[in-house]
Amino acid sequence: MKNYKHYRLIILFCLCFLAVANVNAQSDWQLTAKENESLSPFLFDDDMILEGKISYENSCTSCHGMPGQADYTPMAPSPGDPASDQFQLQSDGALFHKIKTGRGTMPKFEDVFADDETWNLVAFIRSFNENYKQPVPDLGGIEIPEYSMKLAFDENIDKLVVKVFAKELPQSDVSVSAFVKGSFGKYLIGKAQTDELGIAYVDVDPTLPGDAEGKLDIMVKVTKGYGLAKMNANMIMAKPTVRKSAIEGRHIWSNDKNAPIWLKVSFFITIFGVWLVLFFIVIGLRGINKANKEEE
Amino acid sequence: MSKANKNDNSRRNFLQKLGIAGASAVAGSALLLQGCNNSNKASGNKVKVLTADNKLVEVDVAHLQPGDKIKDLEYLQDRGREGIPGKKFVMVVDLAKCKNARKCMKACQSAHQLKPEMHHINVLEMDDPVRHTSYYMPKPCQHCDNPPCVSVCPVDATFKRQDGIVLIDNERCIGCRFCVAACPYSARSFNWTEPKDAEEFAEVTYDMELNVPQKKGTVTKCAFSADRLRVGKLPYCVSACPNGVYYFGDANEDLVTNGTTKKTVRLSALLDENAAYTLMPELGTKPSVYYLPPRQSKG
Repeated sequence: MKNYKHYRLIILFCLCFLAVANVNAQSDWQLTAKENESLSPFLFDDDMILEGKISYENSCTSCHGMPGQADYTPMAPSPGDPASDQFQLQSDGALFHKIKTGRGTMPKFEDVFADDETWNLVAFIRSFNENYKQPVPDLGGIEIPEYSMKLAFDENIDKLVVKVFAKELPQSDVSVSAFVKGSFGKYLIGKAQTDELGIAYVDVDPTLPGDAEGKLDIMVKVTKGYGLAKMNANMIMAKPTVRKSAIEGRHIWSNDKNAPIWLKVSFFITIFGVWLVLFFIVIGLRGINKANKEEE
Repeated sequence: MSKANKNDNSRRNFLQKLGIAGASAVAGSALLLQGCNNSNKASGNKVKVLTADNKLVEVDVAHLQPGDKIKDLEYLQDRGREGIPGKKFVMVVDLAKCKNARKCMKACQSAHQLKPEMHHINVLEMDDPVRHTSYYMPKPCQHCDNPPCVSVCPVDATFKRQDGIVLIDNERCIGCRFCVAACPYSARSFNWTEPKDAEEFAEVTYDMELNVPQKKGTVTKCAFSADRLRVGKLPYCVSACPNGVYYFGDANEDLVTNGTTKKTVRLSALLDENAAYTLMPELGTKPSVYYLPPRQSKG
């Protein structure tokens, strides 16, 4: 009996502790000013958002649900919907550090995601805010360059040649990545850096199948710091392939629509021929029968 | 006497029905005429539209009507038979990654109006007699390039399209189940009872690419989510998988995309490097679904 009382006391104590912990957890989530003000070293683009979406679906949906649908798990404190003002009014730095450090039931993701992956998550969360404009740090007078590029394909060495300009001057040390646009996603052909002439060479696999002329739909992305440019092109750079229909020609399972005319004609001639012979015999037999009757 | 009565009844019934039909025809045509009259009233607001033969014409706003092609059965039937030109859809299933989460099955069943016991894709537990373990194998329709089901169909209800997808037209299906018997992969199931939520889907126009609404007494099977492919999306099962089991893509492009990680890889390289195989190759059915073998377990 005494022991039983003991247990009750312990349980009561635990409950009190949990309540206090909960109140603590609901107090403001303080970050240092420096953490609050930190900004992404990358410009948020569609690729970052897509990467962020994949990480989000794997690690965050179980509590936060899908952003914008308010289908988060009912817990105390509430995890909240990342598309809501509660999240969107926070600074990028605050979101970044809160994901990184965690608190209470929110796990610490510092060891799970590298910094760039965490920024992908922030980019994904921000993609639900139409009014959001990504703040860029003071670059000390340096302008973010606007890149343009020229594309060519050198068929002798099977390389895609990308020349990158900013204000008509060739740019060196710019990262170039080239993709083939497939039906459901982008296939990375290769990455390269521009040399001092602003030219980058990307290896292209000559066995890649193109269309009937060997054309491929490609997308080239150039980045350096906050500078970013994309270009779509349709270029002859792959093996010409004739795209055959899966039902072309005749198969054991083809229906009569695919049958050749000679077969249809000979089929009907045979059928009508057999019927004609049958009629001829029946009429002949009738004639004999009639003649037989007349004789009698 | 009773027979005469019956005859009399049926004649009366016939005349009655004829009367009703005639009356409704008159009323219907009157309504139609009225409709035409209404639409002839011009509002004065003109808009420029492009016709199918690339001519710019000016039309009164009142004459415009929303195009509801998607509700037009004939349009859907033609589209379903035609397929998507220049494509050859393939699926690659990485057995090493399947953990029997069964999200693919759920997504499929909710999209295709299937009862829990009916499957377009089914995750099976397979015995590995060599390693004395078991592994999970998702099994959809194999969309064979030499489909036995299509050869046996007496009414051309199941057919293969130019993009390699084998579909069923349940408007034509007579429920003979020859195809169910012919399929070596048991990929087909039969609607023995009224399908799930039959009342809810009663008004929906039949789309053979989705095979919804399902019909009692017809056969149903995986359609590679042809309705999703048309809009450039991955099939329901492929996008629902949390474990990166499925790759889906176009064999003509030689590219397949993973439904979970969205990573796009070369189909030929993926198949070569992972010793891919197809189910029952000895039958010569040439499936469009490839399997990557399960990982060697070290237990």
